[in-house]
Amino acid sequence: MTSSLLRQWTLSPIRHFRLFHQFVRQEFSGQFAGSLGGFLWLFVTPIVNIIIYSFVFSVVFRAPMPENFGDVPFVIFLMIGYLPWFAFADAMGRSSGLLLDKAPLITKVMFPVQLIPMVGTLVPYLVHGIAIFVFLVYLATQGYLQMAWLWLPVAFVLQFMFTIGLVAILSAFCVFLRDIQQLVALMLTAWFFLTPIIYPLSLLPEQVRPLMMLNPMHSFVQFYREAILLGDFSAIHFQVMVVSAVLSYLLGGWLFMRIKHAFGDVL
Amino acid sequence: MHSISVNNLNKDFRIYARPQDRLLELLLRQPRHRVFHVLQDVSFDVMEGKSLGIIGDNGAGKSTLMKLLVGTLQPSSGTVHTKGQVAALLELGAGFHPEFSGRRNIYLNASLLGVPDDDIAALEEDIIEFSELRDFIDRPVKTYSSGMYVRLAFSIATMVRPDVLVIDEALAVGDIAFQRKCVQRMNEFRAQNKSMVFCSHSMYHVQELCDTAIWLEKGRIREMGQSEEIVARYEDYCNSRRSYTKAEEQAKALESESSAAKAEQAEKDKTPKDARIIHTVVRNTDGEIIDTVEPLQEVILELQAEILNDNSICYFGFALMKDLDEVISAYLGTDRPDVEHGPFRKGEIITVQLRLDAMALRVGNFHVLGGINDASGLLWYETKLSKEIMVKTSKGLGVFVMKSEWKVEHS
Repeated sequence: MTSSLLRQWTLSPIRHFRLFHQFVRQEFSGQFAGSLGGFLWLFVTPIVNIIIYSFVFSVVFRAPMPENFGDVPFVIFLMIGYLPWFAFADAMGRSSGLLLDKAPLITKVMFPVQLIPMVGTLVPYLVHGIAIFVFLVYLATQGYLQMAWLWLPVAFVLQFMFTIGLVAILSAFCVFLRDIQQLVALMLTAWFFLTPIIYPLSLLPEQVRPLMMLNPMHSFVQFYREAILLGDFSAIHFQVMVVSAVLSYLLGGWLFMRIKHAFGDVL
Repeated sequence: MHSISVNNLNKDFRIYARPQDRLLELLLRQPRHRVFHVLQDVSFDVMEGKSLGIIGDNGAGKSTLMKLLVGTLQPSSGTVHTKGQVAALLELGAGFHPEFSGRRNIYLNASLLGVPDDDIAALEEDIIEFSELRDFIDRPVKTYSSGMYVRLAFSIATMVRPDVLVIDEALAVGDIAFQRKCVQRMNEFRAQNKSMVFCSHSMYHVQELCDTAIWLEKGRIREMGQSEEIVARYEDYCNSRRSYTKAEEQAKALESESSAAKAEQAEKDKTPKDARIIHTVVRNTDGEIIDTVEPLQEVILELQAEILNDNSICYFGFALMKDLDEVISAYLGTDRPDVEHGPFRKGEIITVQLRLDAMALRVGNFHVLGGINDASGLLWYETKLSKEIMVKTSKGLGVFVMKSEWKVEHS
């Protein structure tokens, strides 16, 4: 029972590849259809955010230079953490509306519903993946390129899996409890500030730092920084990433597949 | 072979008074809902190549049954088996993305139905052709009218050649010309041994398109059988409750505009129903029932009615209808002292005949509507349509012919 659910969950994008493909195309171009700036917003939003944060933290608060990362400019330190987080936050932020927006489709047409949280996560990751790629190309021209960068796609895929599980759970719960929509927005803000993205870990009190290992996003951010800037990474972060990604992916998928039959009754 | 087989199907909905009750029930495991039985003990089969109509009042469970057939709802108990690919038209373009062009939506919708891309490319032209949307196909569908929406949706759903087609009230939106095309397409569909389930308030369509029919009432099957028979019983039932027939509905729509007419309406509601029409037919002068007429032929329109109350006053009327909603020629028995209008006795069977001297139509098909109306001729209490009558085409041009005599003189 459980294993067949998980098999369906894992295989559905392959089995229903054409539909999956159509959905991704639809969502991807749908994001920019009807807006003037279109694709441009993709770059404007993170850049403006980064300018704001680096102004606040390096000019107003005069945050100390991050320890252990050499004399890297604070903006680059910030961006390495912020861009992947933005992909995560974007996917999570959309999760609550995913199934509700598709209610007419889900109640009237029989199709593999699990494709919806997958597409809902994949599209923001594709979109932000482009931004991250552009940023990495820029870093490469600045002489940061290292062998350890080969690990970055692996890490990004793990982060994607971590996200997909959470998105599946949130989107499914939202069908039953609309309040989750508001909760998700709050939770994301809290999570953002509880993760050392706009500040270095070293700024936290010594006794709080170990607690950060409970926050997988901290491991992801830390991994990206170490791999990109130092060309090496600590194994512990990678382990946390793998475990949290697999757990989230399987748990989210199992839960979603378990309750997806009830959607028709509630939507 | 059965292509749809439904056994002891039940569907309950849980009704929660407040949204938080749903959560509390999950957490505390104490029931906090009322159970509402939408469908109870529904069983039926549809054979390959056959079509089933589902009729019933609003809230009888028709849509729920359709969703169960398609699989978007799970039964509370009982089973639904369908064979082969099921395509559903439960809502106008449920799978459409409003920002995208019709063409993009063809691909999206067809892949929802499980058609490979290459096949869609092959079908694309046919779909555009059938939907008659060639000039609009590259515009976003949000600019479409609801009729255009349903035309595209219907074209896609039927073009992908599913084994079972489930249609919910979709035809009502298209214009008459397109409705006729749909009916034709659905008939082709049956000829190819595909099955169809069709849910509609249009009794005419159910009668014409379906072999068998189910009458749902409060979630249960009230009657099941040949579609003509079930439709007739259901219409009877509706009439006896004085819910509206088509003619009344139109009259009501007109009346609701003036309050003076409302009083009249109230008065009408008090009058018990007096008669039931058994049939409306067209006969030739030899008394045979016919379904084709020749121009200038002499025909007799006949309606037969059963009187349900003593002292009933009934005025009779006939109308030739084109496309079911356009009256091309109407004849009323009101204001004609020579036409008997009662009072009739209960149980009497009245046969009313109207002789038309020369059928002036040259082309096209029509239906004859036989009706019983009030003294004003405005309110038709009871109507019944005949079978479709075809006019045999003859030499010449124009829409009608008149009796004519030629004369050529030399001077």
